[in-house]
Amino acid sequence: MKADRFRGRLTALMLGGLGVIGIGVGHASMPDSGSTPPVKLNTTADHARFKELQREFKSGPEVTKACLICHTEAARQVHRTKHWTWEFVNPDTGQRLGKKTLVNNYCVSIRANYPFCTACHVGYGWQDKDFDFTSEQNVDCLVCHDTTGDYRKQPGLSGHPASEEREIPKGSGNIVKPVDLRKVAQKVGKTSRDTCGACHFFGGGGDGVKHGDLDSSLSAPDKPLDVHMDATGADFTCATCHATSSHDIPGSRYTPTAMDKKGAMVRGQTDKRNPATCQSCHGVTPHKVQARLNAHARKIACQTCHIPAMARGGVPTKMSWDWSTAGKRGPDGKPLVVKDEKGRVIYDAKKGDFVIAENVMPEYAWFNGHVTYTLVGDKLERTDGVIGINRIGGSPTDGKSRIWPFKVSRGAQPYDSVNMNLVTPHTAGDTPTAYWKHLDWAEAIETGMEDFGLPFSGKFDFVQTEMYWPLSHMVAPKEKAVGCAECHSRDGRLKDIKGVYLPRRDAAPWLDLLGWSAAALALLGVLLHGGLRIVRGWRE
Amino acid sequence: MKSRFAWTVAVAVLGATAMSAATAYEADWKRGRIYYRQVCTSCHNTEMKKPVSPSDRTKAEWGAYLQADKHLKGKEPVTRYFSKQYRDGIKASNAAAAKFADVPEKELLEDVKAFLNKGAKDGDSPASCS
Repeated sequence: MKADRFRGRLTALMLGGLGVIGIGVGHASMPDSGSTPPVKLNTTADHARFKELQREFKSGPEVTKACLICHTEAARQVHRTKHWTWEFVNPDTGQRLGKKTLVNNYCVSIRANYPFCTACHVGYGWQDKDFDFTSEQNVDCLVCHDTTGDYRKQPGLSGHPASEEREIPKGSGNIVKPVDLRKVAQKVGKTSRDTCGACHFFGGGGDGVKHGDLDSSLSAPDKPLDVHMDATGADFTCATCHATSSHDIPGSRYTPTAMDKKGAMVRGQTDKRNPATCQSCHGVTPHKVQARLNAHARKIACQTCHIPAMARGGVPTKMSWDWSTAGKRGPDGKPLVVKDEKGRVIYDAKKGDFVIAENVMPEYAWFNGHVTYTLVGDKLERTDGVIGINRIGGSPTDGKSRIWPFKVSRGAQPYDSVNMNLVTPHTAGDTPTAYWKHLDWAEAIETGMEDFGLPFSGKFDFVQTEMYWPLSHMVAPKEKAVGCAECHSRDGRLKDIKGVYLPRRDAAPWLDLLGWSAAALALLGVLLHGGLRIVRGWRE
Repeated sequence: MKSRFAWTVAVAVLGATAMSAATAYEADWKRGRIYYRQVCTSCHNTEMKKPVSPSDRTKAEWGAYLQADKHLKGKEPVTRYFSKQYRDGIKASNAAAAKFADVPEKELLEDVKAFLNKGAKDGDSPASCS
C-alpha cells in the first residue's frame, strides 16, 4: 500500500518535474535564452499579467476604463488631437478644416453618415452631431494599439467593434464575428502599419481608393515598393517618421511641409518642425555619390524622383468618381453593378462610375505647402468648369515651392444649383432618406444639409471637381527612382512645368544648330591651323 | 485513499499542463505574412504566373492542406519550403529567406499557419496576395 502510494507520488512528481523542465525548454527557444528568465523585447509591460485586463469586456469603453487606470492622461491627450476632434483650423488660411467640416470627391462628407464614417474615428459612439467629445471612456485605445490584427470596427456601428455576430452589410451574407476584447486588450502594443493602415489604407471607402500612395500592400511591403517600410529591411512603422508626442501625430495634408531647408533633426531638437519630412533624416544634401543631384533637390521634391508611380503594390486606386451617373437599375429592376475583367467594380448604382488604376504616373506642380479648400458654404462662382475641392499654392519664383508629385482625383458631385454651393448628401444607413437605400438625391441632400445647418433649395445638379493629394509614400529605392531622361525630354514627366529651364526639354533647335555649328567651325579651325603648322614644319 | 489519488492526479495534470504550455509556441502572424508573401507568393508568381491568396481557401482547407504536407500535387512535401536548407538556398536572392534564415522551421510554419488562419476566406481578416 505504502509502496503504491510512493509510486503514485513519484509518478506525479516526475510528470510535474517534466513540466518544469518543459518550461525551461520553452524558454530556451526565446530570444533571451540561457539561465535568465524569458523576456519580451518589444514592450516593457506584458499586459496579459495585469489583473485589470484579466476579465471579459462587453464593450470598447469598458476596455478604455481599464486602460485609464494606469494611463491616466492618455484620453485627455487624445482629446487634443485631430484624430479625435476631426477638426483643424489652418493657421495660414483661417479655414476650419477636418473631416467634420470638409467635403471631398469620394464619399463626399461624414454629415448625416456618422455611424458609417466614424468606424475610423479613434472613439466609440459618434453616431450623430451631438457626440460627447469630452468623454474619456469613449476614446478607443485598441484601434491604434492592437497587435493581434483581430480588432475591427465595422461601418454602421458608430466606431464600436462588433459585440455579437451580425451580418454586415445586411443581406450580404457576410457574417462578422464579435471581437475578443479580452484577448486584444491583453496584447496591446506599439502602433504599426497595420493599425494606422486600418483606416488610412482604406480611406474613401475601400482599399487604396483615396490616397494612391497608401493601401494594404504597405502592410508588409518589399523594398521596391517602399524602401523605408520594407518588411525585410528597415521595416519602418508609420510612427518612425510621424514621430508622435503625447498622442499627437505630426505630418498633415492640410498644411504639408513642401520645402524643409533646415536639414537633419538632431536628438533633443525642440523646435516644432515637422519630423516627417525627408530632410529631417536625410538632410538637404542627401546625394553623396552623385552630388549634382543635390542641386535638383533645391527645386524638386524628393518625392518627385523617388515615387515614380502610385498604386504600385497591386491594389488599384480610384482616379475618378462620377456621382452624376448613379441610380441606374438593371433589367431586373435592381440597382446596377458593373465589374471590369478583373472583377473590380467600375459602376455601382449607389455611387456612379469609377475609374480605377494601378501604377499611375503622378501629375506634377509647383507646391509651397499652402492648400485652400472649397467648403460647403462657399459660393461657387461658376459651374461650367472644374471646381477645385482644394487648390494648391506655389510658383517657381516664391522661394518656397518645389515641384511635387500629386494624385489628382477627378469626378462629378452634387451641388445646390440655386444657392450655388456644394452639398453633403446623406448616403449610408438604413433610414428613409439614405441615398444608398432609396437612390433619391433630393431627400438625401436635404437630410445631409440639415445636419450641417445649411439651407437646401431643393434643386441640384452635378459639377466637375478635382482634388490634389501630395504623394509621400511608396518611396522607391534609388535604383528604381525616376531616370534623368524621363524628365529631360520634350514629352517627359515635367513637360507642363513652367518657370524652370530643363536641358533637352527646353532646347531650341535653332540655338542648338548655332551652337553645334560654332563648335564644328572651331574644331575645323583648330584642325586647319594644326595641319598647316605640321606641313610648314615638314617643309622647314 | 481517494484524496491521495486526487492529489496524485492533480500534480500529474499540473505537470503535464505546464509542460504543454511551456512548449506551445506563440505564432507570429506578421512574420508569417512576410514569409508567405515574399517567399511563397513570390515563387508562385514566377513559376505558376498565378499566386494563391490566403482568402482563396477556408481555414479548414488550409489546415487540411498543411496537415497533408503535399506540394506540387503530392510530388514533394510543402514543409520543404520552410526548411533551413531551402531558406539557405534562396537567401542570396530572397530578402525574407535571408531575414528569417535562423528561425526554427517549426516556428516559421506556425507563423505562416497563423497568417493563413487569419487571412482565410472565413478568417478574421481575409487577405489577398499583395
